[in-house]
Amino acid sequence: VVEEKDGLRVYKSPTTPDDPAAGVLDVLEVAAADLGRSLGGLLGEAEALLHATTYAINAIVTARTGRCAFLTTEGHPDILLFREGGRDVAFDFSRSYPEPYVPRALTFEVPERIGPGGEIVEPLDRTATEAIVEQLAAAAVEAVSVCLLWSISNPKHELEVARLLDARLPGVPYTLSHQLNPIIREYRRASATAIDASLKPIMTRYLAGLAERLKSAGFAGRLLVVTSAGGVLDASTVAQAPIHAVRSGPAMAPIAGRHFARRDAGAETAIVTDAGGTTFDVSLVRRGEIPFTQEAWIGPRYTGHMTGFPSVDVKSIGAGGGSIAWVDDEGLLHVGPMSAGAVPGPACYLRGGGDATLTDAAVALGLIDPERFLGGTMRLDRAAATAALERNVGRLLGLEIDTAAAAVMELTSEQMVKAILGITLEQGIDPSDAVLIAGGGAAGLNAARVARRLGGPLVVVPEVTAVLSAAGALLADLRAAFAITVRATDTERFDFDSINRALATLENRCAEFIAGPGAGAVSTSVSFSAYCRYPEQVWDLELPLRVSRFDGDAEVETLAGDFHRLHAEVFGISDDAARVEIMGLRASASCQINRVAEHRLLETSDSSREVRTRSAFFPRVGRVEAPVHALDSLGSGTRITGPAIVESPVTTVVIDVEDEAERSDGGSLLIRGASGIRDAARERKELAP
Amino acid sequence: VNSGIRMALLANRLEGIVLSMMNTLVRTGRSGVLNTARDFSCCLLTADHDLLAMAESQPIHVLSGPDLMARSMVELHPQLRRGDAFLHNCPYHGNSHAADHSILVPVMDREGRHRMTVLAKAHQADCGNSVPTTFAAAARDVYEEGALIFPCVRVQSDYRDNEDVIRMCELRIRVPEQWRGDYLALLGAARIGERQVMELADELAWAALEEHAGEWFDYSERRMAGAIARLPPGSIVVETAHDPFPGVPDGIPIRVGIRVSTGPRRIEVDLRDNPDNVPCGLNLSEATARTAAMLGAFNAIGAEVPPNAGSFRCLDVLLRENCVVGVPRHPASCSVATTNLADRVASAVQRGIAELCEGAGMAEVGPTQPAAWAVISGRDPRRNHRPFVNQLILSAVTGGAGGPQADGWLSLGGIGDAGMMFRDSVELDELRFPIRVAEQRIVPDTEGAGRFRGVPSALVEYGPVASQLEVLFASDGSMNPARGVRGGHPGFPARQYRRRADGSLEELPPYAHITLNPGETIVSVSAAGGGYGPPRERAAERVRHDVAEGWISAARARDVYGANALKLPLAPG
Repeated sequence: VVEEKDGLRVYKSPTTPDDPAAGVLDVLEVAAADLGRSLGGLLGEAEALLHATTYAINAIVTARTGRCAFLTTEGHPDILLFREGGRDVAFDFSRSYPEPYVPRALTFEVPERIGPGGEIVEPLDRTATEAIVEQLAAAAVEAVSVCLLWSISNPKHELEVARLLDARLPGVPYTLSHQLNPIIREYRRASATAIDASLKPIMTRYLAGLAERLKSAGFAGRLLVVTSAGGVLDASTVAQAPIHAVRSGPAMAPIAGRHFARRDAGAETAIVTDAGGTTFDVSLVRRGEIPFTQEAWIGPRYTGHMTGFPSVDVKSIGAGGGSIAWVDDEGLLHVGPMSAGAVPGPACYLRGGGDATLTDAAVALGLIDPERFLGGTMRLDRAAATAALERNVGRLLGLEIDTAAAAVMELTSEQMVKAILGITLEQGIDPSDAVLIAGGGAAGLNAARVARRLGGPLVVVPEVTAVLSAAGALLADLRAAFAITVRATDTERFDFDSINRALATLENRCAEFIAGPGAGAVSTSVSFSAYCRYPEQVWDLELPLRVSRFDGDAEVETLAGDFHRLHAEVFGISDDAARVEIMGLRASASCQINRVAEHRLLETSDSSREVRTRSAFFPRVGRVEAPVHALDSLGSGTRITGPAIVESPVTTVVIDVEDEAERSDGGSLLIRGASGIRDAARERKELAP
Repeated sequence: VNSGIRMALLANRLEGIVLSMMNTLVRTGRSGVLNTARDFSCCLLTADHDLLAMAESQPIHVLSGPDLMARSMVELHPQLRRGDAFLHNCPYHGNSHAADHSILVPVMDREGRHRMTVLAKAHQADCGNSVPTTFAAAARDVYEEGALIFPCVRVQSDYRDNEDVIRMCELRIRVPEQWRGDYLALLGAARIGERQVMELADELAWAALEEHAGEWFDYSERRMAGAIARLPPGSIVVETAHDPFPGVPDGIPIRVGIRVSTGPRRIEVDLRDNPDNVPCGLNLSEATARTAAMLGAFNAIGAEVPPNAGSFRCLDVLLRENCVVGVPRHPASCSVATTNLADRVASAVQRGIAELCEGAGMAEVGPTQPAAWAVISGRDPRRNHRPFVNQLILSAVTGGAGGPQADGWLSLGGIGDAGMMFRDSVELDELRFPIRVAEQRIVPDTEGAGRFRGVPSALVEYGPVASQLEVLFASDGSMNPARGVRGGHPGFPARQYRRRADGSLEELPPYAHITLNPGETIVSVSAAGGGYGPPRERAAERVRHDVAEGWISAARARDVYGANALKLPLAPG
C-alpha cells in the first residue's frame, strides 16, 4: 500500500487458490485494519490497484485452462507436438515426452497455403473450413487458436478463418497468430497463440470478477495488471490477450533492480537476482535496458511450453531456501534440484519435513535467528535443522555440523554464480563491472559471497528486498510494444521505403496507445529497435535505433556500425565487412503513470535498535560471536565491517569478514568486498589472451 | 576440504565453462546445422587426454574421439605454444567423420606446460566432398569421398590465423562464406573455453585442478560400477544388420558381443567379429565405433552416471583394425561414421543389456537418417541464383525406443544425438532455401508396440518451388527395422519416394542422389522405434490415450494391445 506523501507499507495474506480474488480482498482488509480504516474507505480513495497474479500460469501448470482447439495449415497438424527439439540430459530416458499444448484430438487442418513472400500458394477452402468450424461447435470448444504458416507475411487466410468463427461461433474467444505474436518460426508463434486462446475464458472471468468485487467494496480507481513485459496494462486489455499475464511475477524484479542500481550506485548495468523458496531468478539490466526474450518457458526448459512471446528475460534455477541437500552413494554432495517447498518445507519448520535444506543450513550456522524469522511471526527449530543436516550430510561425509552446513551454503552459492555467469557471458558483460541487486527474503544470506566469486561487484540489498517484485510494479510504466516482420532487407540494398513505412506504422500504433490507455500520463516515450543479423545467421540481435526514420545512407551506415559493435560486445567477434540484414522492427510506448518515483518502506511493527550479538559461522574464520544490527538502527552513511549480521523483520544480511556495509540515503544496504579483490580480477583478465 | 564438497564445486565450474563455449557456438554460427540444429559439441580434456567435462554435448561427438584427437595433437606437434589452435577432422587420427570440424586449443601455463585441452566440434554444412553432401555413403574410399582432410593442422599461432589453411578451405568448401562464419564461431568457442580455464587455474592453481580430475574420475568410476552392480553377470551376442547400400549389395551383418562381469564390475563390448572395411562411406571411425558401444551402455544403465574418463574405465570396447565397426584402415571412407552403423551398434548394445536384465536396457532406436534429413543444394532463383547447401533437419524424424520406464522419446533423431539436436522451422527453411515443406505428421499404427512403445514413424514431404533441387540421403532401416525387446514389437521400416509431377509415387532406394524438378517432391517416412515388453502388458490408460490422440487405431488397440475389455473412445477423424 502506497500513500501520498507517506511511504510504502507491506502486508501479506495467504493465497486462496480456490478463489484467488478473495485473497486480494483479504490482504486489503489486513491493510485497512492496520491503518485503522474501513476497507471501503481505503478503496474509495485509491487511484489505482496494481495486481500481479500467478492465476494464469497456475491454470496452465495444473491443466485447468479452457477447452481450446488449434487450427493450422493442412499438412502440419503436429507443430505443437514436434516443437523445436532439444533435451538437457543425454542418457536419461525414464521421462515421458511432453504432450502437445493442445491435444491432437482438438487439432484441425485448414486447407490453404501461403508462401514466404506472402504469395497465396493454395487459396483457403471455404467449404472445408466451414465444416471444421461445425466440428468445433460440436466439440463444444471454449476457445480457438489459429496459426497458419506464413500468416506473418499475409494475414488474409487467418482473417478469413476469423470471419467464419465470428459467424458460426459468436462469443467463443479466439486468437490469431499474426495479431498476437508476429514472429517467424511456426512452433513458438503457435505455442503463444494456443496459450493465449486457452487462457481467455478463465482470465476474462477472473479479471471481470475481481473488478466487480473491488467495485462493490468501494473501489473506483483503475485496475492494472502486471505483465510479462515488465509493464502494466488495464485489466480489460489483459483479458483480451491474457498471455501478457503469464510470467508477470518474475518480470518486475529487473524493473525494481534497475531503479536501485541507478539510485544507490549510479549504475546502468545490474545483475538482478531474486532468491525465493524454490528458485533463484537472475536477469541482467544492460545500459539501463530491461532484457527481453522470446524463449521463456512455462515449466522446465524443453519439457514445459515455450511462450514464444516477448517477455522480460529472467532465468530460473532450482536453488532456493527449500532446496534439499543430499549426498549420493559415492560421497558427492548435491543441493537440489528437489525442493521441500513450503510444505513440508525445511526441517526447521517442523511441518513434517525431514530433509536438510538451504534454510536449515542457514539456521544451523546461526545466520538466521530462529526466534525472529519473518519478524518473529514464525518460530523455527534449530535442533531440527541441525539434526537433519547431521543425518543427511554431516554423517555421510564425516563432517562437523558447521562444516557440513557451510558446504551446503557454498555449493548453493556456486550454483547461483554459474547461473549469473551464464547470463552475463551470454550478453558479453563482465560481472565485476555490474552492480548486484540482491532481491528476495533470503538474498542477503550469501549475496556477498556470490559477489566475491564474480570479481567483486557492489552489492545492493534494497530495503524492500523481500518484496522486490511488488516494488517493481510500483515503478512500472503503462507499456505496450508492437512488432513488424519486414521483407528482408540489408544495409547494402537498404529498402528505405518499406522500412520507413513500417516505422511510421509502428509510430502510429504507439501514438494510439498513448492517446488511449496512456491518456493523462505524467510523461511518455517511444523507442524503436531493429532485429538484425549477419547473412546466414538465424538468431537476431535487437539493436536500439537512434532514429525514427532513415533519411539517407549516413544513417544506414550508423546502423551497421552500431550492429558490429553490439555483435562484438555480445559474442566477442564482429564481421565488419559483412552487410547487416534487418528482419523486423519493434517499437515500444511507455507512459509513466505513477507520480511518485520511489517510496521508503515504513515498518509495520516495532523493531529493536540495540546491537545484539550471536554465535554464527562465517567463511574463512568459522564461528564467531558476531554483532547483529537492526537495519533500522543504521542511519544513512553508517559503516560496519564484517563479520556482522544485519536484520530486518523480513530479511537477514550476512556481512562476511573484511567486507564493508553501508546504509545508503535511500535505505538500501550496500556491501563492498574487501579491497583488492576487484584488482585481482582485473589482473587476471589482462593476463588472459 | 572434504573431497565430496570440493568435487561438487569444481565439477559445477567446469560444466559452466563448457556451457559458455556452447553458447558462443550456437549464437554465432552461420550454417543451419550449427545455429538451428545445434549439431555441435564442446568439452574439456586433461593433459593426459582424459575427458573431464562435456555438459550438454552430443554423446556421439565426445564420449570417445576428443581423447584420441588430443593425443594426436601432442604426438604430431610436440612443441605446443600458447596461442596455438588446431583444425582437426581426420577420422584416422581420432575424429568422428570428416564433416565434423574440430578446433583444439592446448591450454598452456605460464611456464609453457600443456595443462589441459579445450575442444569445440561442429558438423559443417559442407566439407568439400565430391558430391554435395556431408554423408557420402556411396564413396568407395576417402579419395572418392573428396573431403579436405586436416589431420590436426595448426590453424592459428599466436592467436593469428594461418591464412594458407583458410584459403584452402575457401576454395574447396561449398558456400565458403558460410564455412568461414562457422570457423569463426568454433574458434571463438574454443578461445572462450581457454580463457576461462586459465582464469580458473589462476584462482586455484593447476595442481588443484589436476587433483580434482583424479578425484572426479575415481568418483565417477565408482558410480558406474554401482550401476553395473545392479545387472546380473552374463554374456550375449546380439545380431543386427545395416540395409544394402552402394558397395554393400547384401547389407552389413553386425555381431556385438556383450559381457557383464562383476569380478571387477565391467561391461565388455566386443566388435571384432565383424566384416572388414567396406568400399563405401559407412565404415565407422575408431572414435565412433568406441563411442557407439559406450553410448549403448550408458543408455542402458548410466542415466545418473557422470560421463567422463572415470566412468569409462568400467567399459571395455574391443576393436580390430580394418573392421567396418572398428579401427578404419586408410583409405576406407568413414563419411557416414556418426549415424548409420553407429546407431546399429549402440542399439544392439542397449537391446542386449535389456535381454540380459529385465528393467535395464532399451529396445532399438529407429535407424537413421531418413530422406527428411537429406543434404540439399542448388541455386536460389530469389537471390540471383546464389548457391546454397545445407542438411535439412526437419521436425518429423522420430525414432525413440521404448525403455523400461517410459515410451520412446519422440524427437530422437538418432541414438548419437540423444535427442539434443534442435529441429528446423518450416518457415525458416522456406525463407533460407527455395523449397516448400508440404507436410509433416506422425503416422498412426507404426510404433513398435510394447509395454512401453517406441515412437511412430513420421511422414515428411518437401520439394523445390521454382528451380531444380539436388537431394542426397542415406537412409537405413527400410529392410531391417528397429527391433523390440523382451516381447516388444519392431518399429515400422523407413520408406522414401519421389512424388512425380503427375502425383504418382516412385519408391526410391535407401541411398539416393537425385535432382528434383519443380513440381516433384520427396516423401520420407522415418523408421519407428522398437517396443519394450509385451504390448498386452501396456497400461490401459496409456492405450486409451494413444487411441484418443490418434497415435494408434482402435483396431490396433484391440488386436495388438488386447484392449478388448477397455472402453475406448473413438479416434479423431
